[in-house]
Amino acid sequence: MNPEDLKFLIVDDFSTMRRIVRNLLKEIGYNNADEAEDGAVALAKLKNGNFNFVVSDLNMPNMNGFELLRNIRAEPDLKHLPVLLITAEAKKEDIVTAAQMGASGYIVKPFTKATLEEKLSKIVAKMSV
Amino acid sequence: MSPENLKSGDNDELEALFDEIADQKLWDADTSAPAQPAAAAVAPSTPEVHAHAVDSTVLQPGDDPVKPGDEPHDVFVRVGMLTRKLHDALRELGYDRNVESAVNSLPDARARLNYIASLTGQAAEKVLASVETCQIINDGLQGKAKTLEAQWDKLYNNQLSLEEFKQLAADNQQFVKDIALKTQSMGSNLTEIMMAQDFHDLTGQVVNRIATMAQNLEEQLVQLLLDTTPADRRPVVEEQWLSGPAMDAAGRTDVCANQGQVDDLLESLGF
Repeated sequence: MNPEDLKFLIVDDFSTMRRIVRNLLKEIGYNNADEAEDGAVALAKLKNGNFNFVVSDLNMPNMNGFELLRNIRAEPDLKHLPVLLITAEAKKEDIVTAAQMGASGYIVKPFTKATLEEKLSKIVAKMSV
Repeated sequence: MSPENLKSGDNDELEALFDEIADQKLWDADTSAPAQPAAAAVAPSTPEVHAHAVDSTVLQPGDDPVKPGDEPHDVFVRVGMLTRKLHDALRELGYDRNVESAVNSLPDARARLNYIASLTGQAAEKVLASVETCQIINDGLQGKAKTLEAQWDKLYNNQLSLEEFKQLAADNQQFVKDIALKTQSMGSNLTEIMMAQDFHDLTGQVVNRIATMAQNLEEQLVQLLLDTTPADRRPVVEEQWLSGPAMDAAGRTDVCANQGQVDDLLESLGF
């Protein structure tokens, strides 16, 4: 699949953050993105839509990033979805947990466009293997 | 989460650790994922509770209250006595820990507010700098365009010599190259401005935490008041307060409505 056609789901309870990530994705070349304000809404959308990539914040009400990741990895249709987790701090225990739970990558806020691009290409490269 | 933690960044070591663990695909082997740790920035750290919530007293319990009508010393003495009474009552009721921890969260709230002020200040500075850069570029392009426009008008009015026309063509070509470069620069400045808006997310979380803290503190105190209302005043309390809307953390209107109710309640109890 052409990287440019990847359909992203951006999950964060702050609309400003979702907008920023969406714009960054566009600048990097990914023009197909939808949004969700928490893990629960995200999971529902994932089950119904044809998403190829999830970018999610950790700290959200209703269902946080870790729980969303766990649900994604437990669902047969979704378990292989690449998931990039956005964390507010580079806490070792969070990063270890993310890795153990099957996150495809993580990125620490505040991040630059260059970092996001780098993290995304790393995951996308693994996808085509 | 302290403001210092919020400034920490990523590093290669962490990334390598992540890669190492992720490659093991632990999540796929077993169906139950490992238990989550307390997620980043969830529970505020409540400091160890020490003995006295309030410690400013002068009189010993049992001293006679001063007669009303005496001045500052009188007020001081009365406040001191009331404070002692309150403190003892709190301790006896077992409330002092709750109230103390609520009050102890205030310095943390101050630090967080400072963090917000500094972060929003930085974002404003960044944006203003980008705006200024763009304005300079914009003015430059505008000026140049006007100059060229004037030349083109002259050309179509047959006022340019061949040499001047050749110069105009060269200038115009240069201008076009210039535009390509300068608009790219403006583009990245626009990205900078967009990125600077991330303060909303970072500070928003902190603001929510402070609002919750303040709400918690108020709840503790009002609850204490309700529970310690003497029997003869209970009917007043029940009428005024217990029939009102539940305290809801979500909406500001509820908080305001509660404030009014708290005022009414306090007034009706003679405070």
